[in-house]
Amino acid sequence: MGALGGALIGVVIAIGVSTALFFGANWLFDLAVDRWRTFLATSGALVGALIGAVIAGNDVAGGPLWVWAALCAVVGAAAGIAASLPGTPSKPRRTRLSERGRLVTFLGPSLLFVALGLVIPLLRSIYLSLLDSRASEWVGLANYGEILTNPNSLDLSGWTEIFTSRLFYAALVLIAVGLGIGMAVGRRRGRTMEALPGSIGPIAIGLFVLSFAVFTTLRGTVINNLWWVVVVTGLSTALGLAAAVLADGVRWESVAKSLIFLPMAISFVGAGIIWRFMYIARPPQKPQTGFLNAIWVWLGSLRPRTTGAWVAVLILALVTVLLAGLCAFGVRRRQTAFAIGAAVTAVPVLWLIYRFLGPGLGGSVPGPTGEPIAGTILFLQEAPFNNVWLMVVLIWIQTGFAMVILSAAIKAVPAELIEAARVDGATERQTFWNVIIPTIIPTITVVATTLIVLVMKVYDIVKVMTAGNFGTQVIANEMWQRAFTELNFGLGSALAVVLFLAVVPAMAFNIRRTQRADA
Amino acid sequence: MTHPSHQRNRRRHRVRGLIGVLFAFSLVAAACGSDDDSDDADEAPAATEAMAEESMDDSMDDDMMDESMDDESMDDESMDDDMDDSMDDESMDDSMDDDMMDLSGTKVTVFGPESSEEEAGAMQDALDVFAAATGIEIVYTGARDFSDQINAQAVGGNPPDIAVFPQPGKVGDFAAENWILAVPDSVTSAIEAQWPAGSLDTVTFGGTLYGVPNKTDLKSIVWYNTEIFSSGGFSVPESLTELQILTADMLAAGITPWCVGIESGPATGWPFTDWMEDLVLRVQDENVYDQWVAGDLPFADPRIVGTAQFVLELWNIPGAVYAAGGSIAATPFGDNGEPLVAGDCAMHRQASFFAAFLPEGTSVGPGQEIDVFYFPAVAAKGNRPVLTAGTYVSAFRDAPEVWAVMEFFGSAEYANARQAAQAARQGGGQSGFLSANLDQDLSLYNDLERSFVEILQTASPARFDGSDLMPAAVGAGTFWTEGTSAVNGDKTVAEAFAAIDASWPQ
Repeated sequence: MGALGGALIGVVIAIGVSTALFFGANWLFDLAVDRWRTFLATSGALVGALIGAVIAGNDVAGGPLWVWAALCAVVGAAAGIAASLPGTPSKPRRTRLSERGRLVTFLGPSLLFVALGLVIPLLRSIYLSLLDSRASEWVGLANYGEILTNPNSLDLSGWTEIFTSRLFYAALVLIAVGLGIGMAVGRRRGRTMEALPGSIGPIAIGLFVLSFAVFTTLRGTVINNLWWVVVVTGLSTALGLAAAVLADGVRWESVAKSLIFLPMAISFVGAGIIWRFMYIARPPQKPQTGFLNAIWVWLGSLRPRTTGAWVAVLILALVTVLLAGLCAFGVRRRQTAFAIGAAVTAVPVLWLIYRFLGPGLGGSVPGPTGEPIAGTILFLQEAPFNNVWLMVVLIWIQTGFAMVILSAAIKAVPAELIEAARVDGATERQTFWNVIIPTIIPTITVVATTLIVLVMKVYDIVKVMTAGNFGTQVIANEMWQRAFTELNFGLGSALAVVLFLAVVPAMAFNIRRTQRADA
Repeated sequence: MTHPSHQRNRRRHRVRGLIGVLFAFSLVAAACGSDDDSDDADEAPAATEAMAEESMDDSMDDDMMDESMDDESMDDESMDDDMDDSMDDESMDDSMDDDMMDLSGTKVTVFGPESSEEEAGAMQDALDVFAAATGIEIVYTGARDFSDQINAQAVGGNPPDIAVFPQPGKVGDFAAENWILAVPDSVTSAIEAQWPAGSLDTVTFGGTLYGVPNKTDLKSIVWYNTEIFSSGGFSVPESLTELQILTADMLAAGITPWCVGIESGPATGWPFTDWMEDLVLRVQDENVYDQWVAGDLPFADPRIVGTAQFVLELWNIPGAVYAAGGSIAATPFGDNGEPLVAGDCAMHRQASFFAAFLPEGTSVGPGQEIDVFYFPAVAAKGNRPVLTAGTYVSAFRDAPEVWAVMEFFGSAEYANARQAAQAARQGGGQSGFLSANLDQDLSLYNDLERSFVEILQTASPARFDGSDLMPAAVGAGTFWTEGTSAVNGDKTVAEAFAAIDASWPQ
């Protein structure tokens, strides 16, 4: 209660002093225009009082504070009057002086605090990054060299494995399909390439899969950070957009959106702890307490050629029949989205049927005696995909953010625009892709860049869930460990500078976008 | 997650603060009443007595003090004069004033890694004894990530008055940075005689002492489930070979022999380093160990790599390890207490403090649910190596009350008070606290803990935990992280250890 009272009093005092300063400064600079001599005398007295207080406060000379303040104020006032004796400057000059004075008075303090809190620490970090671990000897760019050569922070040695990974070929196929559709449609319309959902979609997903192929083979802290940026930014924005579009105008819109937005209220540390429980694995002989492993092991208990597996196959077969019906319906009514969607969904379902009939699905491994026992997934320990499980936490949190902003942008698309498109005979789908999306592109970029900046600095989730072990290290956590666990301030500062340099372009782009959006 | 206990602690601190203030007032009142409120010097412990004599030799004030000592004694604990005298010793050299010893109303903050209800609580209880006697308000705060936080606090310029370092190597780092203060001679001479020869060497740098021992841990022990041993007809192994045979026998009998877990938040990996050190001491010898710890022998040396492979081969025998978190690297080291008692595994190699992680009400000792055997050595060598560890307190602030508390940490009174408090908090069972103080009251320990003391005393050679002596970048850095990578199978031992060598500060 005492602390709260003190804080409240502090707030009241701060607001009071700020208000007094505001009106006082305004009054003072008004004086400069109307009464030049009074202005000079008053500002002289104020400056004098300040100098006097500094002298007494720092024990430069003895004597009580107020005596010094008063003395110097009188001297300052006298100096001000003396300065006014040569004559009063012209009115335009006084007005200009007053404007400049106002500028300095109001901008000065904030610039001072920005300098103290941001600029000076930044410069000092850059300076420290050029020194050795105990900040005593100049080592030049050795710390940056260490970041680039240490296999833990950047390991490109496995790059040839990209070409043997299945992800790589899956990505190539997707991109080829996208290009093929684009070119086929383009030829029909007399162009080499046509950008439309059917071609952009597979290409975008292909590039995403390609990034997985790259990031799972090239390893290290820096690569992990890039991976985070690509996956979390991409998926959060895409899922946020999807949620915003799908929820738009439906009956339970606010409820649905609230549910998706809820995780935003949870701190990163809290989310990390919650998801640790989701991912936790237990020894095979114990019941699984982690949600995901419980499901996985239960699926594993449905061994092929047992009743459980047959029931699963039956259900999945029904789903397949349903999907086939939908696909046929889509083809007959020329609803390509229906047809393609159903066909695509059928692929994993057929795969599940194959797993249940053949090798089995889920967590089950042969035990020491040959009997199948529970086979768990160590979500947080199995590199490199443990990174993805960590990213899921941030996606879970940030999708709500993307959704809210994008939803607002969609609702702000002018109704006339959409109506005009309808009058011209555009379908719902065409309106969305050719009217709504182009209109909200600026918002999408702002959301994406905001997320890039946030994701680049990810720290808490990794710290709480794996402490950077098992190949999940990210720059921010590495920076902390180097600087504060190992007391290597050179390397820690170098990592901080790298992070800073990586964030700045996204930040600058974001600010420019925002300013343009405001204008 | 620890929210309620935090709140409870805070409330308790507040109550203690109140009591402390009351004591302070009463002591001020008492000090006004007489010149010196010491008890009879004869009641003081031997070391204090010796010191009191010393101070009498070179001080003019002694007569007066002597007289006052015969005064009727207060109801205060005898510890009171322990510290009064020591303060006299210091203050009398430069000034004559006697009331210098009145430290009531002062405050000393202590920060350390022990954060569990039992350990941190017992620490505060023990300090409260001294607080009650002197009127110094002593507040202990524990944090699981102490190692990181103390660095940030020291760099940021707001360290505690006293920090409890689990790593002598770190004490050396802090001494090199001039963050901690050298222990003054008065304190050194007061505690020196109470500790086994050499136990202050680990925190002596350049001939100057920078720390005072706080507690000792015995690391070379294996906790085992006696029920499994007796029903399966297994006997305690006497050599490393017998231990390997025992492991194989248990596997053949369908018993999971080991519990292993190395997860420990930001310090994940340290239990692996302990296994490594214990086995370097056994499979190799103490000379190799010393060279390795000092950095003269690289991690890439085949003897060190071979030892790590020995450990991992033992752990990687299919079915040999029960890990409550699904895998060794995912299991918090303390989480294995429950499965050990439940019989999910038979043995768990962990330090003496592991008692604090056993489920409440577990009976520990010979013939009880859980017993302990000495981690056996190689029979052919005929030695009995022991790995120890411990915490040391170092001071950041130069003030009489801080040095008074530092001296108390090195005293038998502290060891006794802490032992009693921690045993009480553990429900009268195994306390998990161990001190190497020579003057401590061994009757406060139970049988098992006395056997620990015996293992410590019969050790040859005894070595301090190597990772705690290595530079922080390795001992609290890459040895943990790269070791974890090796355990988790992300890297081979050779790859991981090459990375450790690369990180060793030049």
